[in-house]
Amino acid sequence: MTRTTYDAIVIGAGHNGLCLAAYLQRAGLSTLVVERRHEEGGGANTEEPVMAGFRHNLHAQYMEFFDVMPMIQDFGLEDLGLRTVMPEAQAGIAFADARPPIVIHRPDQPEATHASIARYSSADADLFAELKHRAGALEGLVAGSLYNIPSAATGGPDLQAEMLDAVFGDLDIGHHYIQKSPKQVIDELFDTPELRALLYRVTVEWGFPVDQTGTGVAFLSFIMWTVGNWKLALGGTHSLAKAMTQACYREGVDLLESCSVEKILVEDGRAVGVRDRRGVEYRASKVVASNADLRQTLLDMVGEDHLSTLWVKRARAYRYGPSHVLGTPMFCLYEPPAYASARWDPDIDRCFYTMVGFDGPEDTIRYIRDAYGGTVPKPAAGTWVNSLWDRSQAPTGRHAATGWYFMPPASALSPADWAEVRATYNERFLEVWRQHAPNMTSENVLAHKLYTPDQMERKNLMREGDFSNGEFSPDQMDANRPFPEASNYRTEVDGLYLCGPSAHPGGGMHAACGYNAYKAIAEDLGLPSPAVATRGY
Amino acid sequence: MRDTYDVVIIGAGHNGLTLGAYLARSGLEVLVCERRHEEGGGLCTEELTLPGFLHNVHANYHTFVDLAPPVTDLELREHGVEYVRPEVQMASVFTDGTALVIHSDIDKTCASIARFSEDDAETFRRLHAEAHGYIDLLLGTLMYQPPMSVKELTKALSVFGVEEGSEFLSVKLRVETINQFLDQHFTHPKVKAHLAFHGAVCGYTNDVKGLAIGFPLLAGKIDNWNLCVGGSHRLAHALWRDLAQHGGVMIADADVEHIVVQDGRAVGVRLTDGTEITARQAVASTVSVEQTFLEFLDPASVGEELAHKVKTKVRHKDWTLFSVHLAMDRLPEYTAAEFDPDVNRAWVVNLGYGSPEELNADWATIRAGGLPDPHPNAAVNSLYDPTDAPAGCATGLLRQFAPFALSDGGEGAWDEIGPYYGRKCIEEWRRFAPNLTDDAFLASAVFTPHDIVRKLPNMIRGDWMMGEISLDNMLDQRPLPELGQYRTPIERLYMAGSTQHPHGFITFGPAYNALAIMAEDLGIEPWWRKV
Amino acid sequence: MPVIYTADWYSAVVEAINTHVAGLRGVPEGAWTCRIEIAGDGVSPYVAAGEERHFLVRIDGGRCIWYREVLGEEEEGTVLDYRFRGPAAVFDEIAAGAIDPVVAALHGTVKVRGDMRFLMRQAELVKTLLEAYATGVVETTWPLGAPPYAVTGGSSDATTAGAPTTAAAATRGPADA
Repeated sequence: MTRTTYDAIVIGAGHNGLCLAAYLQRAGLSTLVVERRHEEGGGANTEEPVMAGFRHNLHAQYMEFFDVMPMIQDFGLEDLGLRTVMPEAQAGIAFADARPPIVIHRPDQPEATHASIARYSSADADLFAELKHRAGALEGLVAGSLYNIPSAATGGPDLQAEMLDAVFGDLDIGHHYIQKSPKQVIDELFDTPELRALLYRVTVEWGFPVDQTGTGVAFLSFIMWTVGNWKLALGGTHSLAKAMTQACYREGVDLLESCSVEKILVEDGRAVGVRDRRGVEYRASKVVASNADLRQTLLDMVGEDHLSTLWVKRARAYRYGPSHVLGTPMFCLYEPPAYASARWDPDIDRCFYTMVGFDGPEDTIRYIRDAYGGTVPKPAAGTWVNSLWDRSQAPTGRHAATGWYFMPPASALSPADWAEVRATYNERFLEVWRQHAPNMTSENVLAHKLYTPDQMERKNLMREGDFSNGEFSPDQMDANRPFPEASNYRTEVDGLYLCGPSAHPGGGMHAACGYNAYKAIAEDLGLPSPAVATRGY
Repeated sequence: MRDTYDVVIIGAGHNGLTLGAYLARSGLEVLVCERRHEEGGGLCTEELTLPGFLHNVHANYHTFVDLAPPVTDLELREHGVEYVRPEVQMASVFTDGTALVIHSDIDKTCASIARFSEDDAETFRRLHAEAHGYIDLLLGTLMYQPPMSVKELTKALSVFGVEEGSEFLSVKLRVETINQFLDQHFTHPKVKAHLAFHGAVCGYTNDVKGLAIGFPLLAGKIDNWNLCVGGSHRLAHALWRDLAQHGGVMIADADVEHIVVQDGRAVGVRLTDGTEITARQAVASTVSVEQTFLEFLDPASVGEELAHKVKTKVRHKDWTLFSVHLAMDRLPEYTAAEFDPDVNRAWVVNLGYGSPEELNADWATIRAGGLPDPHPNAAVNSLYDPTDAPAGCATGLLRQFAPFALSDGGEGAWDEIGPYYGRKCIEEWRRFAPNLTDDAFLASAVFTPHDIVRKLPNMIRGDWMMGEISLDNMLDQRPLPELGQYRTPIERLYMAGSTQHPHGFITFGPAYNALAIMAEDLGIEPWWRKV
Repeated sequence: MPVIYTADWYSAVVEAINTHVAGLRGVPEGAWTCRIEIAGDGVSPYVAAGEERHFLVRIDGGRCIWYREVLGEEEEGTVLDYRFRGPAAVFDEIAAGAIDPVVAALHGTVKVRGDMRFLMRQAELVKTLLEAYATGVVETTWPLGAPPYAVTGGSSDATTAGAPTTAAAATRGPADA
């Protein structure tokens, strides 16, 4: 565009940046989004990297926040191309020895979930159903914690204790659960090893390190709310980014791709614009917001000259990984996997998310600890075959499968080692897959590819391959994220805001970082609040 | 999406989006359905090789952007599309180390031609000047209007005595090939080679009778090729933005399988996932005639006669393109740069065709389903758009004229032979630019004719012009007489894509002209027609 | 002989046009408004450099039924069917029969905008209209010289009084028909 001056400039067209831009433009600020890559979306990325016609989500898979995401409602994204399907069988674990799978179903099918767990333990089935039901009622709380600017008060132990008593007290869940790790909570509540294995994996998938003490409440509220609550975006995750872009366009947002920001321009302590790699300057009279990760934003783009020693120190101390570092394997198949365990329950063959290679809880824990510790774990994966529900994701008569491996952070391996992983790891996993689903022979696999953390770092600037652009530990969570002085989306540079996953609540397809950043900006500039009374945020 | 709109458009290529944007600006509720996961059709730009290397998978040349009415009507530059007109447009490098270079400056172009033949340089200057004179007229008459017939056109030219007033226009062009035109006016084989090559890159095969009629226009625009900064897909984004800003909606992953017809009138579409969408006023298809009439419509709505015509009379280009997309760590340095250093800054280079006869021989091979010895052309967009590759690197595109179905194995054979043929094309490039050793190429990706149809099934048999380019398939005859004025035998069903006049390439013409017809039928005041 | 670009001259041209058209068959029904824009080019002495003279001409059933000169910014809102625009010297040459208006259009010196398809289909009519204007049918006095404007020894030199008025609008309306 010929224009170079705006009220607001948003750096990065990831889904958080797009969300923020739409709200800003609607509030009357002329807004430019600049995106380094040639296309929008960031982690909402669907491509055909293996074979033409086979789609794979390279990052986000779950769409678990669509019922609560404000932008979907406020901008009518469902009229703008966002279409979803909610598979009935949601999460499952299959076993190589063909023992019964465990399949968790959608919340509206609790009997099916109960029957599945009850094959192992009625008591666990009953408890799971009860906890699931109560967690469902906490949706408002979960959403409220996502879509509000965190304060030290909201996450405090006293409030958590109150909530535990109120919601779970009758189940002998005591205050001390607040201090437990998710693993400790799971082990205390459930006896079935198979169920434990599944729940450990689900927990880490949602970014709570399974051994992280002090997050016990998060398991009961957030994890139990999200498990089985997942949707599939028709066409792939990127449909969310497309619908958001369309909403932005409708409002009048300008979006400039292939524009790599080198510097945030700071004059007299105020952010006044950006300069791109070509030397072109774009000016912002009111707001510059960055979707980029913390260190890039503060240390590279702003520069230490414009920061206090405290902020430089905090930025340098900010850690990436290991808990949100994944690898994405992609498989082009003739047939979907047919699990040996299916003879007990055919639902495992048509389950949205299936865990393969975790024979028991020890396997899962070892797997996770290896990855966190910097070692490539023994092959196992969570897998999706989206083409079972969405024919657009594979050619007729074929299927596209995608998975997640937990991987060490990018810097833990050399480039040569990563190349080796890409060359060999999928085949090793396929051997495991074959043990669980005998039809997963090499004849059934047309082609495959692996997208590793070092590649994610280069492609999407996810430091260390960390999809949250910052480790999810209590010292970097909630009112501490990215660090206490920066936890309300504002920075010490006037007019400069953080709107990406380095801010609360981290990575995930919730657009909460962008939404909350808008709230902060709205407060500061006297713009309309986006909060809607009926939803509480 | 909602379930009712005023107009549903099938296909979000540049024509579908353009039509949608105009209709949205006219106050109609518009839905553009796109089968693929993104808008743009032939405008797609992807990182085919390595992250940071942007490859235009199809359309690489935007030639009409300074003339096409939609560019101004839809304020596309304000929507973020930016063009660069390379100073060194195209070149031919020859096996003897010489080179012919077309610049954006006509004097420099003529100076280059003069090194081969001063007469040819003067002739070219006159041809260029004459064509420039009537470019506006021709475009207004021919391109951005619903078509008249060849007969009407030649009659008018005759009444106006155009032939007497022009050196290069004549009614004879109707029956001549570009080769014949070149033989009449030019002398040096290399000059003719470059001009014939230029026509071919535009889809106008030099040995096809009647195509001489289009040559003056091609010559007039020979130095006006534009590069879309950031990749061709930026144009798609700009069009989408205009559509969305005016209330229209583009939905990707919306695969139309059926056009619903009631009482002889198109009333909506159905997607492959069963979603039904009502179109209150019209349905416009920008995909192929075959898809529209043989797949999307009930045979009863089409009728046997039309179905038969679609199956037997719709004609497609008899050659297509084989491409190699390259991530490079250096720019090519041509041996021919010694003869003319400007060659190293040429956006597009003809590697080696030294006479029209060489092109003719390749057409013969291709039409017989054979694989010609590689004579690719090479485009390095990074020369003029550094944003399309990481710093210090370059994005390269080799394009080779090729058959769709190989006589040995059909189109499926391309999957096997692609990598080999790609290597041969690269070797051919190396012959002319020896600095392009194997290590110059960080990664490569071939894109065969078979890949074209896999990605864009509307390009039947890899036909990137969406219809044969020949005199019989032009103007009001394109793609069939029944469909040549954008209306179809089904009420309120229109054809608005590159199957229609003028043809494929990034012209916006089909949409703009279909719009005029639809405006008549739908009672829309043509606010865009500024006189 | 009327002086070029005077009201008398325009009347004579219109009469010539309508006489020519009267002999044509197959003249289309309908009416069209054309705007003719003559831009001073520093070559023609009849329009000052940097100034422009604009005319609206109404063709109905092939005949010119009225024309008027556009003064100032008025008439911007008139719905136009065609616009012809060119340098003053070219219009002079056309009027003097020195160049073919079709050639001028082909060379791009006169820019034509409007429904070109219709124009081509009505080639006979257009040719006839142009011939009346362009082939010196109307005998004309050129007070400042006919192109190439040599004052001495020229054929159609100024004999009678006065250069044509410039600012005063030359008008002929339906009442004068």
